[in-house]
Amino acid sequence: MSTVLAQIESQIAKLSSKAVRKNTGVITTVADGVAKVDGLSEVMYNEMVAFPNGVIGIALNLGEDEVGCVVLGDVSQLKQGDEVQTTGKLLSVPVGKGLLGRVVDALGNPVDGKGPVASTEFYPVEKIAPGIMVRKSVSQPLFTGIQAIDSMIPIGRGQRELIIGDRGTGKTTIAVDTIINQAQINRVGLASGDPKFRPVYSIYVAIGQKNSNIVRTIAALEAAGALEFTCIVAAPAADNAANQYLAPFSGAAIGEWFMENGMDALIVFDDLSKHAVAYRQISLILKRPSGREAYPGDVFYLHSRLLERSARLDGKGSLTALPIIETLAGDVSAYIPTNVISITDGQIFLETDLFNQGIRPAVSVGLSVSRVGSAAQIKVTKQVGGKLKGELAQFRELAAFAQFGSDLDAKTRAQLDRGSRIVELFKQPAFNPITIELQAVTIYALQKGYYDSVDLKKVTATAVSIREFFKTRQDALLTEIRTKAALDKDLEAKIIAALDAWKSTQSA
Amino acid sequence: MATVPAKIRVYAKKLVQLSLSGGGVSAEQVAAVLLHLEKNPPARLPLILQTYHKLIAVELAKSEARVEHAGPVAADALAAIATSLGKRYSRTVTTVTKPNPALLAGLRVRIGDDVYESSVSSQLAALASAS
Repeated sequence: MSTVLAQIESQIAKLSSKAVRKNTGVITTVADGVAKVDGLSEVMYNEMVAFPNGVIGIALNLGEDEVGCVVLGDVSQLKQGDEVQTTGKLLSVPVGKGLLGRVVDALGNPVDGKGPVASTEFYPVEKIAPGIMVRKSVSQPLFTGIQAIDSMIPIGRGQRELIIGDRGTGKTTIAVDTIINQAQINRVGLASGDPKFRPVYSIYVAIGQKNSNIVRTIAALEAAGALEFTCIVAAPAADNAANQYLAPFSGAAIGEWFMENGMDALIVFDDLSKHAVAYRQISLILKRPSGREAYPGDVFYLHSRLLERSARLDGKGSLTALPIIETLAGDVSAYIPTNVISITDGQIFLETDLFNQGIRPAVSVGLSVSRVGSAAQIKVTKQVGGKLKGELAQFRELAAFAQFGSDLDAKTRAQLDRGSRIVELFKQPAFNPITIELQAVTIYALQKGYYDSVDLKKVTATAVSIREFFKTRQDALLTEIRTKAALDKDLEAKIIAALDAWKSTQSA
Repeated sequence: MATVPAKIRVYAKKLVQLSLSGGGVSAEQVAAVLLHLEKNPPARLPLILQTYHKLIAVELAKSEARVEHAGPVAADALAAIATSLGKRYSRTVTTVTKPNPALLAGLRVRIGDDVYESSVSSQLAALASAS
C-alpha cells in the first residue's frame, strides 16, 4: 500500500517541479492596436500571444525580424519593452446553447451584464470551411417571413444570401425580421412536439455599428421574444479594428457549433463593408501592400473563407448566412460589393427610390436573385407564387413604357393594374414577419381575384384583414396548410370557402 | 526604430554568418569582420554596424543562459543546466546568474527567445488564472 502511495507521490513531485517552456519576445512599437514584437521566433500564424496585464493578441504578420500582432484589448496598458509570450493556442470562443439570449464581444466575453456565459466548449475562431464531400445541396427552406422574399427570392438552409443596398434602405430590418420569424416558427414547432421539427437558432454579428443601433436591435428582438433563440456578437464602432475584424469569425464559430451538432443556425453579418474597412486599417498598419481602394490583396479571401463556412452538412445541421453590404449611391460595381456578390448564392437588392416611394421592404425584384431558386421553396409557395416574379418584372417593363403614352389597350391596363396590386400586397411593416401559411393565403387571394374590386390604396389593408380573419377564425385551416405544405383540390376548396366567409364579413 | 532596408539586413546577416564558429559567435571572427569593415567601409556603414550589433546580440543570447533564482544555486546545478541546454540547442551554452526574489522559490532560465520557468511565483500565477 505504502509503495503505491510513494509511487504516486513521486509522480506528483516530478510534475510539480517540471519547468514550463515559453517562447518570448519584446514589444518594440505599439500603435493603432498593433504591436510589433522582436523575438517570438517560434510563433505560429494566427496564434494567440499573451501580453502583460492579461491582454491577448494574435500574430498576423510573421516577418523575418519582427512579428506583427493585433492587440485584442486595452492597448494603453502596453508599452515598449514589455514581454510577450506565445500560448500555443489558436484564438477560440465559447460556443453552445449557453450563448442564446446573450450579448458577447468578439472574444465571447459577455457584455450584457447577465453574468458569465454558461459554456464549457470552445471553437477556434479561424477554421477551414467544410469540404465538398461532407456537404449536401440546399433544399430545405428558411422562411424570412417577408412575402416578397419568400415567394420570389427563396432562401434555403445552408445558403449565403447577400442583403445589399444604400444606407437607410432597410437592410438590417430584413435581417431582424428573419431572426424574429425563426423564433416564431421555433416556438410553434417546439410546442407542437413534432420530433422531426428542426429549430433555427440565430446569431447576429454587429460590426462597426453605433452602440445605439445595436441596443435598438436587441430591444426589437427582445420585444418580439426572439432573443432567447439568438446570440448577439457585438463589435461596435467604438471597438478597436482588431475586434471588428474578428467578430464575424467568432460568430461563424458559434454558428458552426450548432451546425456540427445536427442543428440549424442562421448568421447575420451586419455589415461586411465595415468589416472590410476594419481589415484594411489593420493591413495598412501592418504595412501590407495595398491594392484597389487601398484594400489588401487578400480582402476577397477574407470574405470567401468566412462565407464558405456556411453550409448544409450531410447528416448534420446547417448554417445559413445573411451577409449585409452597404453601397454608396446604389453602386453595386464597387470593389467589396462585387466581391461579396460573387461569393454568395444570390442577393436581395434594396433600392432607395422604392423605399422613398413607400414600398417597404424596398426589394428590387429585377436585381434580386436566389441562385438556389425553387429548390428551397415548399410546394404551396410554388403553387401560389410561382409566376409572381415574372408578372412583376413584366409590370415594371410596362410601367416604364406606359409613361410615354396614354392610349393603352385593355390587356396592358389589366397587367398594370395587377402589377400595382402585387406591389401593394408585398408592402409589409418592419418587425412583423408573416408565417408561410398566411403568406400562401394572402397570395392565393390575389390569384383568385379577391383584391380586384378593392381600391388600390386599400390592398395592403385588405391583405391584413384577410390574415387577421384567418388567424382568428381559421386556425385549423392554417395548421393544415402548414402541415400539408401543398395545395390540393380539397384544401383549395376550404381556402376559397374561408375567403368567401371573409368577403361576407366585409360587405356586411 | 525605423525599418532597416532589406539590402542592409541581408549584408549584416552575411557578416553574422562569417562571425560564427562551431555554432556560436567567435570573438576572433568578429574582430576580423570589424577589421575588414574598417579597411573597406561600405555605404551606410553606421546602419550596417547597428544591424550587425543587433544580430550578434541575438546570436550571443542563444548561447548564454541567464539564470534568475530566488535562493542560492549550487554550482553543479548551473553546470547541469548548461549541459542540458547545450544538448538541446546543439551549441556550447554558458550561464549567467541573477538573483530575483520575486520568484519566491525556484528558477527562471532565459536562453534566446525561450524561457524555462519552474518558480513558485509562476505556479501561483497559473493557479490564480485557473481559478
